[in-house]
Amino acid sequence: MDMVIDPPVAAAEGGASVTSSNNNGGGEEQRKKKKTPVTEILKLELQLLRVPVEHLKKSLRSSQRTAEKDLSAVLADISSVTASPTVAAVPPVSSLTSLVCRLHGIKRKLEESSSAEAAQVQRCRARIEHLEEFVPHPYCECNSNWNNTRLNRVILDYMLRMSYYDSATLLADSANIQELVDIDVFVEAREVVESLQNKKVAPALTWCAENKSRLKKTKSKLEFLLRLQEFIEMVKANDYLRAIAYARKYLAPWGPTYTKELQRVTATLAFKSGTNCSTYKVLFDVCRWDFLVEEFKQEFCKLFGMTLVPLLQIYLQAGLSALKTPSCPQGSCPKEDPLSQAGFMRLAEPLPFSKQHHSKLVCFITKELMDTENPPLVLPNGYVYSTKALEEMAKNNDGKITCPRTGIECNFSDLVKAFIS
Amino acid sequence: MDVDTIRESFDRVAEKQVQYATRSQEVINQLIKEIELTITNLQETNSDQSTILAQLKTKIDEITPLAQFEGCQKELNLAIARYTKLLEKTFTTDISKAYRDVEMDIPTINEIIASHFYRQGQFEIGDRFSSEAQVSESDILKSPFLEMHSILQSMKLSHDLGPALAWVAENREKLLQYGSSLELKLHELQYVEMLKAGKRVEALKYARTHLAPLANEHRAEIQKVFACLLWEDRLDQSPYGDLSSPSHWEELATEMVRQFCGLMGQPFESPLAVTLAAGAEGLPTLLKLAAVMQAKKQEWQEMKQLPVPLDLPKEYQFHSVFVCPVLREQGSEENPPMLMPCGHVLSRQSILKLSKNSTRAFKCPYCPQEGTVAQCRQLYF
Repeated sequence: MDMVIDPPVAAAEGGASVTSSNNNGGGEEQRKKKKTPVTEILKLELQLLRVPVEHLKKSLRSSQRTAEKDLSAVLADISSVTASPTVAAVPPVSSLTSLVCRLHGIKRKLEESSSAEAAQVQRCRARIEHLEEFVPHPYCECNSNWNNTRLNRVILDYMLRMSYYDSATLLADSANIQELVDIDVFVEAREVVESLQNKKVAPALTWCAENKSRLKKTKSKLEFLLRLQEFIEMVKANDYLRAIAYARKYLAPWGPTYTKELQRVTATLAFKSGTNCSTYKVLFDVCRWDFLVEEFKQEFCKLFGMTLVPLLQIYLQAGLSALKTPSCPQGSCPKEDPLSQAGFMRLAEPLPFSKQHHSKLVCFITKELMDTENPPLVLPNGYVYSTKALEEMAKNNDGKITCPRTGIECNFSDLVKAFIS
Repeated sequence: MDVDTIRESFDRVAEKQVQYATRSQEVINQLIKEIELTITNLQETNSDQSTILAQLKTKIDEITPLAQFEGCQKELNLAIARYTKLLEKTFTTDISKAYRDVEMDIPTINEIIASHFYRQGQFEIGDRFSSEAQVSESDILKSPFLEMHSILQSMKLSHDLGPALAWVAENREKLLQYGSSLELKLHELQYVEMLKAGKRVEALKYARTHLAPLANEHRAEIQKVFACLLWEDRLDQSPYGDLSSPSHWEELATEMVRQFCGLMGQPFESPLAVTLAAGAEGLPTLLKLAAVMQAKKQEWQEMKQLPVPLDLPKEYQFHSVFVCPVLREQGSEENPPMLMPCGHVLSRQSILKLSKNSTRAFKCPYCPQEGTVAQCRQLYF
């Protein structure tokens, strides 16, 4: 054998998308003012930025209100002490001392809420920084990391909405995206959802009271529905007197807005829970609780500026439509195409496929585009492959071509060019 | 619009939040100070109580605590309102507008997610998710990837090529069918690692046992491998330094995964990741379309084909799509592409139409050549 010493080989190229790319080199650049335009893809991320801001607003509303109330009370008491010291039952010094204690209390409360709010501010900031790290196509390598984070964020959003809280926490920790996801917001929802699943309305009603003004603005029906359910439960338990008293107190105010529904529900008093009459039987059905859970989740999402449908489903539908073609159901999709998987095809079935204006032909062998630089060649049996692939095959096989899909053999000279516009 | 603008607007919010936090603390501290001073005065001096207390009142009025609070709160709330408005102006208001109200089977989605986690090697999360989401038969989803990841772990963590080599030996024939040189590369790496560790004799023995049989197909590569002997433990100074570099390990790991998935009939990239990324590319166009079609809700729900193309980058082009230049329709099983004798391609329906249902010869729309239906052949892309 002849020994051939190769010249120094260039360093191997970095690994593909299975490994994560090292962004340290770009770190310095990022720290200088990097201009990241808000491209179409980034524009989809309103929820990412809005939720922590809404959360911040909510915290501020309640802490500001408490602080003002407490402070006004203290100031009022100071005024009464300074106004008439001699008439006061308690000597001024002790009053003032207790006032100082209260002020310390206010101070502590303010510190706590300020640090909570500062944490929320940090979350807002972390998300803006995450958007800044996006590099638009075609710099795909950097994007793998960003795309992967987005994938995890979207999956996590789905988990939270479906109440798979443990999985969500595990994923957030392992992918290190705690600041980019809203587990803290959903913790609030969890208690209400679980209590509703246990057929208790109290936490849900408390939540409605806490968010009264926002719910009123959106004309939410939630509180009314919760009250209705409590009424129905009382009727179920044959507790008629209590039910009527309850209705007078809590359902009557909603009368003008939801008259028909109120009438129908109050009629259950007459029909009782064992009724077979379908209009009323459905009202006693246990699945009304599930409906309440969904209704609550919707109001909750609306309040925080989240989409009403999980992000995962939105992106999935769009992706399936974009990838679907009329030839897909035949099962001829290569295995790299997600639609070759049964589950994906099932989900894509009711969705429209994308329109294409021009043919896009992909060589079965090389997976490359067959265009004017790499035109398609036709075998005698009608199967088509790219010029590059067939030339390579002919070179390695003394000018013979074997169709990889049918096994038919022919010569390179038997091939015919096809012209596709 | 740059993300910078968003960041600047938010910086103001952060600034005001800090201001509010500090100012409110300051004000409370001031109040406390004044009251404590008054207490001391009352206890120690002989001055008239009323005067001291009146002084306190004046002092407090000067501080205007409530006004201070309100002022800071207002500024903070204003900054937040401006920021929120900017967000609503810059970003798409509701990305669920294009969402079709079709049943998306939750169990199917959950299976897809569980598979995704198992494929990525995140078995703990996959298991937790499968139990929380009640994914049936999660073991079946898991098993193909368990073996793959245990091989990968040995490679990555302990640089142990044993399991990988065992798998490659088991599947040697199939790998050769695919034209993969994985076995060669793995043996090469093992040999190189032995050389680096200074075990020259063993390395040579290894090369004779495992690399020599492959010499026929991969002559140039084997020559390289034996040349390494000249550099032994100073391989990084040789032209073959890359053979033992960490990135080479990574490359081989990726190649391993690729072949493993290929043999299992699984895609290399997670289909969930690909679909979601494609969705992000196509969603802006879909939203614009939905906005335009807002009035025609019925049509939106029921359409079989989108009236506009969703242009995806070419990585998402997995299989050929033929669009007949005459009818502008996509090829399908009922209407496949046909090659005319002149070399141009039309859909079968176009050809039938042009030939008046196979009765006459027709002229190609693109060139003066004529042909008959019998001369046309169906194409398979």
